Amino acid sequence: MKYICNLHKSIESHYNNNAFYIDNTFYTYEDLTLEISKIRLVISNSVNDNIKQIGLITHDDLQTYAAIIAFWLEGKTYIPINPDHPLDRNLEILNSLETSFIFDSIGNANFPNFKTISTLKTKKVAVNLVPKTVSSSDIAYILFTSGSTGKPKGVPISYSNLNAFIEAINHDNEFKLFASDKCLQMFELTFDFSVVSYIFPLLTGACVYTVPRNSIKYFYIYKLIKTHKLTVLSLVPSIIHYLKPYFDEIYASEVRYCSFGGGALYNDIIEDWNKCIPNATSFNYYGPTENTIYSSYYKLNKHANSNITHNGVISIGKPLNNITYIIIDKDKNEVDIGNSGELALSSKQLTPGYWKNKTKNQDSFFTKLIDSKPIRFYKTGDLCYIDSSNNYMYLGRIDFQVKIRGFRIELPEVEYHAKSHCHKKLNMVAIDIINTLGNAELALAIESEPFNPVEIINNMKAKMPEYMVPMHVQFIKEFPYNTNGKIDRKKIRSYFNIK
Amino acid sequence: MTKEDILEKIKPVFVEVLEHENFNLNETSTTDDVDGWGSLTHMIIIEKIEEKFNIKFKLLDLMNMENIGDLVKAIQSNISSI
Repeated sequence: MKYICNLHKSIESHYNNNAFYIDNTFYTYEDLTLEISKIRLVISNSVNDNIKQIGLITHDDLQTYAAIIAFWLEGKTYIPINPDHPLDRNLEILNSLETSFIFDSIGNANFPNFKTISTLKTKKVAVNLVPKTVSSSDIAYILFTSGSTGKPKGVPISYSNLNAFIEAINHDNEFKLFASDKCLQMFELTFDFSVVSYIFPLLTGACVYTVPRNSIKYFYIYKLIKTHKLTVLSLVPSIIHYLKPYFDEIYASEVRYCSFGGGALYNDIIEDWNKCIPNATSFNYYGPTENTIYSSYYKLNKHANSNITHNGVISIGKPLNNITYIIIDKDKNEVDIGNSGELALSSKQLTPGYWKNKTKNQDSFFTKLIDSKPIRFYKTGDLCYIDSSNNYMYLGRIDFQVKIRGFRIELPEVEYHAKSHCHKKLNMVAIDIINTLGNAELALAIESEPFNPVEIINNMKAKMPEYMVPMHVQFIKEFPYNTNGKIDRKKIRSYFNIK
Repeated sequence: MTKEDILEKIKPVFVEVLEHENFNLNETSTTDDVDGWGSLTHMIIIEKIEEKFNIKFKLLDLMNMENIGDLVKAIQSNISSI
């Protein structure tokens, strides 16, 4: 696989460069190589060839990143598991896999029926960076996202999907790193934007600067930018919303690239942010996890008022060169140009299908004849339209999926866990509310006289990651309904007084 | 104002924003020790503390804050600079 061979070459030829800056320590490519080699030895000693998948407990340390590379060189699949997520959820994910192995750099993961492997304590092992041969359909990683039935959905991404993505980004020559670059990696490894944040730097011999999980992220990121003069940033828009009150104190002239993704990007804030990073080229990226990280992007203009926007939200641009976008109606027919509809896409980056989820696969994928050839398409669930300059505009979700801090959440899943442990059968609605900073927050409306919701909240905390637990609870005697007899979510929003 | 005075004054801000009292605040407390103290609530807490003490933090103060002790020091130095 080309990208893995390139990783091998890059690591070998940048031995003396810094590869990572983690928790106040620099690690060189040589340090990384040693860790990779140790982990490969552990894998070949303890994991059978026919076992492809290995769970990866995601710690913010060199060994965890080295494990990803080691897995790929061994032709394995990594499935990131966030140790801060509830045990039940992590077990549900692990039990759905075809493996009994978990890599935990700290070595204290304790999941029943799973064998925990860790790195070696020895200081020296023979360098081993030569990749094993993999087939293009082998899986590089599986990410689990929120599912509407209360069960997380697994999205497998193959080696060839990831390879196609890297080639598509390189094809445009708009985002080109140097070995001297200093690149931010602010994402959880369970979120696919983490992959771009480490893979492009490692492919060029640049250094990756990570952000600890429990830090106040926006201040920690600023500290990295200021202290280490970062040159490449990949951010969710909420980071700059948080930093906005301090824009007049930020001047980061070294930043060369600034990529946004994972939520609506507003043009008014970009106008001000541009002054903080005067020399940067910025992009607004869009892409569902199912189609390997990014699917399209819009290159921002130096002058924000020239950007293409809709209701102040910046365009998601044009698809990457191996990707076809179509906008369809409910019957999967393409709509006329300029009309809105669901975005569907086909590409070499498209997942082979959800992990062991036949129903969801039947719902989400379909075949359509394009130029009399059958092409496999994925329905993104995103409402979009294309403008006269062939740029795509994102209008929102067609169903009840929302994004909180970049994480995709199915509201029915939140409602499901809220209702499941309530002493009474009550109507509950989860909604996203935009606060005055412009960030989405999760809220729960309960149709009832007020009571102490602590039991409901505690159950949600036990079943779901922290970002899926509503921050606000409001009791409403009777829910408002619209003329179609559906709960009026817009009106429910007005009951919350969120600043 | 002593460190103790400041600690006493900021505790109610945390209680108000986090909507619970299940924590002790001392100089070594970090976001790990206090339930609900995270990215969003931190921003609100900072705003309320600025109002209460009639000060305005610099980004440089905020980026180096790793625990309550750092917060108290930043408040002290801001008060003394008025």
